[in-house]
Amino acid sequence: MRMLAVFEKGERIRHIGHLDIQRSVQRGLRRSGLPVAYSNGFNPHILITFASALSTGACGKREIMDVTMAEDVSEEEFLTRMNQAMPPEMQLSEARAVDQKHPALMASLRAAEYDLLIREKDTADKLVGAISAMMEKDAVLATRKTKTAVRECDIKPLIYELKGEGQHIYATLVLTEKEACKPGMLIEALAKEAGIEGEIRVLITRTGLLGMDENGNLVPLETL
Amino acid sequence: MDLNDKIEKILEKVQKAPRYTGGEMNTEVKGWDDCPLHFGFCFPDTYEVGMSHLGMKILYGLINRESWSLCERFFMPWTDMMALMEEEQLPLLSMESRHPLNEFDVVGFTLQYEMSFSNILAMLKMGRVPLESRERGENDPIVVAGGPCAFNPEPLADFIDAFMIGDGEEVMTELNRVILERKEKGFSREKCLKELAKLEGVYVPSLYDVRYNEDGTVASVTPNCPEAKTSVRKRVVTDLNSTYYPEEFPVPYTEVIFDRIMLEIMRGCTRGCRFCQAGMLYRPVRERSMEKLIDLAEKLQASTGYEEISLSSLSSGDYSCLPELIRELMKRMKDKRVSISLPSLRIDSVLKESLEETQQVRKTSLTFAPEAGTQRMRDVINKGVTEADLLGKVRDAFEGGWSSVKLYFMSGLPTETTEDLDGIADLARKVIAEYFNVPKTQRAKGLRVTVSVSVFVPKAFTPFQWAAQDTLEKIIAKQEHLKQVLNIKGVTFHWHEPFVSFLEACFARGDRRMGNVLKRAFEKGCLLDGWNETFRYDLWMEAFRECGLDPAFYAHRERSKDEVLPWDHIDSGITKQFLWHEKEKSERAETTKDCRKGCNGCGLQRWKGVCSYANARSV
Ligand code: SF4
Repeated sequence: MRMLAVFEKGERIRHIGHLDIQRSVQRGLRRSGLPVAYSNGFNPHILITFASALSTGACGKREIMDVTMAEDVSEEEFLTRMNQAMPPEMQLSEARAVDQKHPALMASLRAAEYDLLIREKDTADKLVGAISAMMEKDAVLATRKTKTAVRECDIKPLIYELKGEGQHIYATLVLTEKEACKPGMLIEALAKEAGIEGEIRVLITRTGLLGMDENGNLVPLETL
Repeated sequence: MDLNDKIEKILEKVQKAPRYTGGEMNTEVKGWDDCPLHFGFCFPDTYEVGMSHLGMKILYGLINRESWSLCERFFMPWTDMMALMEEEQLPLLSMESRHPLNEFDVVGFTLQYEMSFSNILAMLKMGRVPLESRERGENDPIVVAGGPCAFNPEPLADFIDAFMIGDGEEVMTELNRVILERKEKGFSREKCLKELAKLEGVYVPSLYDVRYNEDGTVASVTPNCPEAKTSVRKRVVTDLNSTYYPEEFPVPYTEVIFDRIMLEIMRGCTRGCRFCQAGMLYRPVRERSMEKLIDLAEKLQASTGYEEISLSSLSSGDYSCLPELIRELMKRMKDKRVSISLPSLRIDSVLKESLEETQQVRKTSLTFAPEAGTQRMRDVINKGVTEADLLGKVRDAFEGGWSSVKLYFMSGLPTETTEDLDGIADLARKVIAEYFNVPKTQRAKGLRVTVSVSVFVPKAFTPFQWAAQDTLEKIIAKQEHLKQVLNIKGVTFHWHEPFVSFLEACFARGDRRMGNVLKRAFEKGCLLDGWNETFRYDLWMEAFRECGLDPAFYAHRERSKDEVLPWDHIDSGITKQFLWHEKEKSERAETTKDCRKGCNGCGLQRWKGVCSYANARSV
């Protein structure tokens, strides 16, 4: 049996990197005393995967872990015991038991929803104001940085939804194993459109991870 | 911009932000307003160092356990953080509730090594607490300190209001009670300090006057009020089983140096190595019972989720039922996938059997500390280990599947000659030979022998407290020699920065005037001296010059028998007479037996019911 559980990465710990978050979840599982499955071999580790790595500096409202259990436990028990074992900034909100053959989350991931809080009001107004003009263009250019290269790319096809409200920009962006539009790329493109130069302070919160159902609709990944 | 906004802005820019963000598991146990007494626990080094320290975990739990007191943590920010904080005019804030240091009733520093002293000044300044005791007013916190370096408190006498000498578990609460009482009744700072001075084990330096002789040595240290005792006796907790030990540790998100459960199996050491300050300061030996340790291990495992338990003490191999303890721990921890490691293996006391069991779980590199290269030198320092012992253990380890061995030595010990240095290389060669003696099919691949040679620093309350440290020229020449003789295939040689050891020697045996040097050096920008990238030897030497003090007076001078030592008014339980006797024996390369085999009369036998070995057999 596997348990898919939705958890939060709170604002206070947003600077913690993905590896450290992984280790913290594992230690939480060990504290919980839940019957998790371990790998064989010399350095046994808990069989766990995460739907997607969240970058350092970003908060997460609905991150997803996928834990292989050694024995069956109920969803309620999993939630209760984990919430006692996890620090306040990493509480769980939902758990769903699936069977061993359930597809890997990473492979079903299609997109992510973001809430981008622009720290300065002026900047926020300009960026929000630039949304419609930018979306009318044929192509929206942004720089994609990989480990080996920096290149320009068109992010327009990677944007499912984009709207602004007050100091917030809400975006649904493509996120798959192969392709992604990072929030930073979107902000960069909007800034260019709005004619803003210099650093923009944004608080990034990933509010959901989405997959696609058989009708082609984006739905929360953990419900698939 | 409000406080939290400023903090957020800084955290976006700083390197390694998680050092400063807190929110770890098992922290923030209480609310600020729930307790009348607020204790700011300061570790004068970085988060990664401080969070690895057992003493801090003990006191953090101990203070927070009382319904009336709250403890929050402070660490030394790295230089980039300091610059950002200054830019935003942010004070030093606690990890838990982000309260500035000067809003705490008590500010407590742990003194683990001399090279953290400048960080104390830096943290006070960032925390907006006046640096010197005499500048503090009624509304400023009471600044206290404890830990091994509190045994020679004089270099910090100007900055610390009260020192706690010896084991902290009891005196910490007593001290906090006095400060709480002051807060409730509103009596003056001066009265509070005098009340603190009445507690056993508490030293309030401002209540003592120091006079000096013409030659710069100390003439006397005398109390200037009736509350201050002529001699401050260290605190000892006699029964570790009934002494507080935390059942949960804060668990950091990021990796720190020691990120595991630390189980203090015993305190103190009976070996009597003559260079070892901890060995003298933490006497007598007290063990925690196996039942207690197993209970603690299980509770700590459940509350932390750690993957590893290390047994901690000065000499874990001396624990009376070590194999049973290890076997039992392994049995109970097996299903929980917890490994057991022994950090300070004494080469002459680890049973082969336990080694074999440890190996089932994790094969880290093995550490041996022969400390010196020849038998004569080991006799001088009373390191009761022979070459045959060492090689026997190394052979066992290689046969048991280890291939990586670390050897620790010291250079600059009293009476050291070139022959003793060459002995280090000889020993390294013999260790390598042991490896190749094990048939190829039986030994693990990839032999690695690391030889670390540190510079000897004479410390207070040891038989070498009268000794001169080698001059820098001598140390450097010896290191050059070692580099040549240790140029052996398969051996990695590490040595210590001599300049740091020189400065460490000045503080380790410094008097009150070293406080001026410390303050001057801090004003010049010295801080984080324990780190190569921030240590500024040149500025330190300037500070000495400007204060009219000669560092050689502290580091390179041999003291005479009748000299008043700056720490003579602190009573560690060990008599000066015993130490002098040990010094004389060392000059004749005569050893002193382990006092488990019979009391050597170090002085602790005078304190009734304190040392169980002394009571077992009278002197
Ligand atoms: S009193 Fe005797 S037995 Fe106890 S520590 Fe001192 S020398 Fe050892």
